This record gives sequence, C-alpha cells and structure tokens, in this order.
Amino acid sequence: MATPGFGGKILLVNLTTKQITRLDTEKYEMYGGGHGTSTALFWEYCVAPGDWDLQDAFDPRNMVSLMTGAVAGTGIPFGARTSVSGMSPQCYPIQWFCHSNFGGTFATMLKFAGWDGVAVIGRAESPVYINIMDDKVTLEDAKALWGLTTWECQEEIWKRSGVRYGQEWQQVDGGFTLQRPSIVTIGPAGETLTRVASLVHGGGSGAGQGGFGGVFGSKNLKAVAVLGTGSIKIADPRGLKDAREWWDKTWRRGGGGFGGFGGGQSVSSCCVGCGARMCHNRNRAYSVDSDDCAESTWFSLAPPHPPTSQMVNQKGTDIVQQLGLNAMETCFMGPMSFDTSHNKDFPIQPKVPAYTALGWYMKKMYDMKVIGPGTKFDMAPLPMDDFEKQEFMEIYGIALAKRIGIGNHLAEGTARFAEKLGRTDDFNTLCRLTMWGYQDHWSMPGVEWAYGNLMDSRDINNHDMSVGTKRGYTCEQFVKILAERTLKNDPFWFDYSWDTDQAYKTGIYSKHKAEWVAWHQHYWNYYKESVGFCDWGYSQLFNQAHPEGKGHTPEAEPRFLNAITGRKHTFDDGMEIGRRSWNLKRAIFVLQGRHRKMENFTGYYYRPGASYCGFAPELPIFDGSKWEWKNCKELYFSREGVDQWKTHFYEVEGWDVESGFPKRKTLEDLGMKQVADLLQSKDKLGKA
Amino acid sequence: MAGDKKVDKKFSRRDFVVGSGTAIAGGAITALSPATQVAAAAESYPLSTAYLVYDSKHCAGCYGCMIACSLVHEGEVSLSLSRIQIHRAVLAEYPLDISINVCRQCPEPLCVKNCPTGAAHVSAANGNIRMIDAEKCIGCETCIKSCPHIPHRTIWNPQTKKSTKCDMCVNTPYYNKKGGIGGSQACVEACPANALKIVNELPSQTDISGYDRNLQPPRKPGGPFGPGAKPKAAKPAPKA
Repeated sequence: MATPGFGGKILLVNLTTKQITRLDTEKYEMYGGGHGTSTALFWEYCVAPGDWDLQDAFDPRNMVSLMTGAVAGTGIPFGARTSVSGMSPQCYPIQWFCHSNFGGTFATMLKFAGWDGVAVIGRAESPVYINIMDDKVTLEDAKALWGLTTWECQEEIWKRSGVRYGQEWQQVDGGFTLQRPSIVTIGPAGETLTRVASLVHGGGSGAGQGGFGGVFGSKNLKAVAVLGTGSIKIADPRGLKDAREWWDKTWRRGGGGFGGFGGGQSVSSCCVGCGARMCHNRNRAYSVDSDDCAESTWFSLAPPHPPTSQMVNQKGTDIVQQLGLNAMETCFMGPMSFDTSHNKDFPIQPKVPAYTALGWYMKKMYDMKVIGPGTKFDMAPLPMDDFEKQEFMEIYGIALAKRIGIGNHLAEGTARFAEKLGRTDDFNTLCRLTMWGYQDHWSMPGVEWAYGNLMDSRDINNHDMSVGTKRGYTCEQFVKILAERTLKNDPFWFDYSWDTDQAYKTGIYSKHKAEWVAWHQHYWNYYKESVGFCDWGYSQLFNQAHPEGKGHTPEAEPRFLNAITGRKHTFDDGMEIGRRSWNLKRAIFVLQGRHRKMENFTGYYYRPGASYCGFAPELPIFDGSKWEWKNCKELYFSREGVDQWKTHFYEVEGWDVESGFPKRKTLEDLGMKQVADLLQSKDKLGKA
Repeated sequence: MAGDKKVDKKFSRRDFVVGSGTAIAGGAITALSPATQVAAAAESYPLSTAYLVYDSKHCAGCYGCMIACSLVHEGEVSLSLSRIQIHRAVLAEYPLDISINVCRQCPEPLCVKNCPTGAAHVSAANGNIRMIDAEKCIGCETCIKSCPHIPHRTIWNPQTKKSTKCDMCVNTPYYNKKGGIGGSQACVEACPANALKIVNELPSQTDISGYDRNLQPPRKPGGPFGPGAKPKAAKPAPKA
C-alpha cells in the first residue's frame, strides 16, 4: 500500500522498445520524491550500467523524468510542482544532469491517475505521445501533432477524445471526471532540438531552463497527457485541513520571499489548491494562463530603445509559450535596467539590462558588426531595420524555434553562439553568463545564489535567498530572525562582509557562508524540487506580516508533510533527505567530469559591476563588533576568497577539498555505499 | 435521517415557470427535460435556507474548493469526488475559461422527487438542504439521471457505489468544524479569491446570474487589465 500522499507507482517508458514498466515508488522513498527520486532513477538506469559517457543530452540513453512529490494535489499553498530532471542540452560546456519544474494541474492529475511520476528513456521511431488514463498507458501516434504549437497540440489531443469537457462526465477506468487531460508538450523549438526549448503545460506553465523541450524532441516525444479520476490518501485529513487554515491565518498576509506579481490586480490561477500568490492571469488580452516572469518581458526593451508596449510584451509572452521557447534564455533585456555610467570601465553603458540574454547579445553583436552585413553571419531572416517592432519579435521567435538562417546558430543558446563567434571572452564581460552557460539572474550581491549556481548545474533560480532590505527591523534583529528560522542559529550565515578581512572570518568567504549555502542546497533539493513546494513560497525565513517577523519555515514544511504522509519527520529529517539526493547528484556531476578546478565563476563575477543588477543591494554587514545595513552594490568576488570558500564548502559537505569528489564516509553515512563503490571503480572517489 | 421528511406543498404555476428556466453557465446549458418537468409539477418542497453562490469571473481556478470538499467529506483528496465542480478550459478566453458547477438546491429538487428509497431528501433538520442519506442509497443513479443540470450536480462515488451531493458540509467526518446551516463550509473557507459564498435567499432562477454573481468588495479600478476591464478578443499567434 502506498504511503499516504503518494500514488505508489512510477511509470517508466522505454520509447525504443515501447516497453511500459511500473516501478514501486517506495523503493525510492529515501530520496524524497520529485527530483530526488529522478536523480536516483537516473543513477540506476543511466549511470550504474556504466556503458555511457554521460556527455550528450540528446543521446537516447538520457532519461527525462517528470516527477511529483508528496504535496501535489493535496491543496496546500505553493504545492503542486512537477519536477523535470535529466541531462541538459543547455548546460555548457558539459551537458550536466540538471532540473527544472513547472506548475499547473499536471502533477495533481498524474497523482490522481495513480502515478508519482513518468520517466522516459530511448527514442521512438516516429513521433508519439504518452497517454495516461488512470492506470491505462498507451503510446499514441503523434505524427499529425508534429509541427503544431504547444497550444495547438493540446487542443488537438483534447479534440481527439470527442468529449465535451466540463459538460459531460467522462468514465475512465471505473472513475468519472468532468476534467480534461493535463498535457505537457513541446513546440517547434523542441522538435528541432534547439538547446533553448521548454516544456509547456496549459497556456504557460513551463519548464524552460535546462532545455528539456529539446530532450523530448530528441526522443520523438511530442507530449505526455494524463487524466486521473482517483484520489490521494491523506494520513490525517483533519490535520491537513487545520494546517491549511493555520497557514492562511498566520502567514498568508505577508507573502514573503520575493513577493507576488498578480496581487490584487487580476484574478489568476496556477497550481492546484494554491491560489496563494496568483501567478497566472485570466483576464488579459494576451498571455492566456501565463505567468508574469521572464516570458512576460521576453521582448521588453530598455534604453537606448523605447519601452516596449504592454500589448507587445503580452503578445511576446504568447509567442514564446506557443513555440515552446525558454523565455529566460532567449529574451532581450528583461524588465529593468541598471545604471552603469558611474563606472566607465564597465563594458555595458550607460545602463545594463537585468538579463543580457540571447536576444540582447545577438543585437549587441549586430551593433558591434560582429554579425550581419560584411561578416560571415548573415542576419536573414531577421529584419534588423525593424528591430523595435512586433514583426521583428515574431520572426525572431520563429527563426529560433525552427532553426532558420541566423536562428540556427542562435538555437544553440547564448554560450554556444558566443563560442561559434569565437568570443568566449564575452563570458567575462558582455554576456554576464554564469559558469554553466546560464545568464546571470539576480545572483549578486546575494552571493548564496551565485555560490549555488557554482555548485549546481544551472541558475538555481531560488528567489527565497534574496534577504532583501531592512523592512523595519534593525540589522541585528533581522539576521537573528533568519538564523533562528534555519534552526542552526548562526547569524553569520547572513553576513555579507566582502571587502575587509571580516569577509574571511564571518563574511562571504567564511565557513559560515559555506554552511548557509549547503543548508540551502539541501533545503531546495528536498523541500522544493523533491517535495514540490514552489520557489515563490519556500523557504520563508522572514515574513513582514508576522508580529515577530517570522517566516513559515521551518514550521510549515513538516506540519503539512506529516499531515499528508503520517510520518513524524522533523524539519531536519527532510534536510537530511535533501543532503542525500544532493550528494547523489554530486556523484553524477563528478562522473560527468566535475572537478574542483572547474568550479570557477566566469570573469565578470570578479570585477566591479558584478552586482550592478542587484535589485536589493542593502545587505547585513558585521564589522567585527556590530551589525549594520550597507549598500553592497559594488560587491564582487576575489579569486582568492572564492577559493577559500570552496575549501570550506567541500569540508562542510564531506567532499575531498582537492578534487571536490564525495568521500566514501559521506556517501555511506547517507546509505549510498553503492555510489561510493562505483565512484571508486572510476577513480572518482574523494580521498578519506 | 431523524427529523427529515418530504414536505408536500401545492405547486404554484409561478414556481413551475421559474423552476423550469434555462440557464447558461460558462457555456454549460441547464434545462429541464419534458419528462422531469412533468414530474416536477406533481409536488413541491420547502425552499432550502442556504445556497452556494459563486463568482466565476474572480475564481482563481485553483481547485482549492474541490480539494477541500473531498478532504472533509471523504478523508482523501480527489477532483472526481468533489461535490463542487470547477472546470478550466485553460486555453479558452476569459471569462469562459472557467465554469463552476454547484448544486443549486433546486426549489423543485428532482433528485429528491425521483429517488425510489427516500435517500435523496429535503432535510428539515438542516434548513431544508437537499441531501442524500448514504444508508438509504441503493446506487440506482436515479438522482443523477434526474438532475436537470448539465453537468449533473449529483456525484457518483465509484468507491461506495452510491450517489453524493453537496450537503453544505453537514456530514463531514474529516472536518473539525460544524458545517451546515449557520456553520462553516470547507469550499468557502478554502477559496483564496472570495469567489464562493453562502446566501440564505433563493437566487433568481431565471438565468445563471442568480448563482454566478460578483462577490468582490468594491475597490478601485485595477487599470486596463484589472477587474471590470472588458477583455479584448485574443488574436491568433503567428503560425509557427
């Protein structure tokens, strides 16, 4: 019998052999569900056999998993994410094992169908989609769907059933439903194996970063559709209802974290049962069921160009969703820009846009005459004379998604496009790329985001890390609250001293900061990416609306989870599960080629200007005797300091400080002796 | 159920005309078939003293009400077992993207009228709410077939092989609160958008606006895309 909160089984589909297998979820329970379970599956099916070098994400042996966690479908706020895992074609220079996630109804519907996740390996001979109707799973011909946009594909699959959804009760495997199947699909950008393709569910619940749309495309997999009529057992239904009410009463008002976009302006919708943040909009002219993040500012232009109209922005939102493009990677400038004119040495003047992504970089290269007339890179089909117009935006999207003309080069993503131009030095200046090919995204001056990027395989996109400004508390009060809520009570985790000796004692190069980053990596590996809590709500160490400023972490997580599962886990029990899957992931990285020598920031992190795009530069500083808020807009790393920090971090994690490889004791203490054995057989085990 | 009984009442022509009205809710058509109209004309019932009304234009589409409903009634979460049914057509245009289907506590409840065992009944002990007594239900589905609304508001539970319907949370074994008349309703509590409400007067039966109404407190206009703004027709995106 399945643990309450879980469906109890995982669907494994081999598209090459057409074999459909049912795996017991319980076997992977120690990894926590979601990304943790996917990591364990990847290890078992892709790594452990040992017959693959783990370098090409488009290799049929790559496994892409859509995995849910315990909270999906239970109606708790911020809790219905579907985690996507697999080797990523977007990661650079090595296509690391990576992750992404998306909201909407998919995770919930999958659970109601009785499945905790879907893992796909192999490659179909011709396009197919996986159709899940409760317990029944079939591979359906998708030749007629190939070429359709994400929206057209979903409409077509719904149409095929002949059911009038919402009006007639449909019988499925003994159960009944009024609902339509939840579908996650790729658009043309995935079919052409671009490295900037997303998975799209509904109007705009998307998994962009990682480029998993291309992995679907490489497998000839157009979509996964699921309809479930069953239910999820809850260990303590009364407790769960009470917990929801407690959360509403105690925490909802403040929001916390990075804040909410939808707010009171419009009704909205996202994950099942959430409704807490209002991420998606219903009542727009465009942007149907789409959220307000990177996609809504995809074609947002900043000076020297005139501002993009709201209508064009919304039109752009629809285009990226329909074509299945990763908006964050392919966008132009982002929602805002920041002054740089006070630093004439900074290479982007007079303002630097929030996101210097592919669209922006392409235009920059054109303006610098690196591409375009007189070069070997023709701009066709892009109408560069109409750059600021909607028509340009539309053609750019299509050229990219279908690899037409210059779009064929751009479809490789910013890092590989720069490499194609012979301009990898731009990673240190113009591109503002993080070390694994992802553009910078609010990672500085909140250095834990940057460190997370460095140790992981992508932009970790963890908005909860932005500690923000004073909010009416003294600096000392503020860091004390944060420290207490981590349960580790170390206020120096939140010291951002950077340009004095204090940086090495308690600041950004200290062991304190290494422990904080480790805490956070363990946290998101379990509570967010495995359990399914949304980044917009978790973690929350501080909440302005709470009378004592306390966020719902670490109370909400175990309270919700224990009511659902019937376990008696403490908050730290969950952290340990996160540490396990994080270490398993580290072992995969190591086998893919990760080494301490590789873990270095790109050049721009080490020069003035690294934090110019920080939207919350007021950070706590401890000067050796007292705490003060200080503006850290000029914060940047020193190579020596980062090297020191890495040593601390490896020690904290139980990894070899010379190589960064996990040690046997670390892995065995986490119950992963087999992982240690395999690393040892490959001469990749850390020295004791 | 103790204290519950069918109450005969002469049926007035006005009641009949109102009760047989046609309504449109988010594309769903509500109508009485000729056969059920005849049945309805034979006898009548006291009005319920509570009605669940909703605001489909401000619904967040989060399904929180459905999850809460199944949780407090069944002790497990399910969309299919929920007695309130939200349907989202995620790619349809606002406001037709969401339809909300609740039991209307009909003035002339054909589920009650046609139930062969008295399981479907008007509960005098609970403010005349139309309810189904699970112990008397034989699973014949007559109440489901009798429900004049599309989709039908009586719900089939394949686990128990019996019908259920909205009871205003009277029988909620997994709810730490008192439900029913004067009590709490899990769906209303769970709604983050103030899009559900219990009212005591009979909503207008002439069209759907009796049940589907603006439940939001007055507030300043929210700009060109805020509440109250007239949505413009969506234009098709370029063919990829």
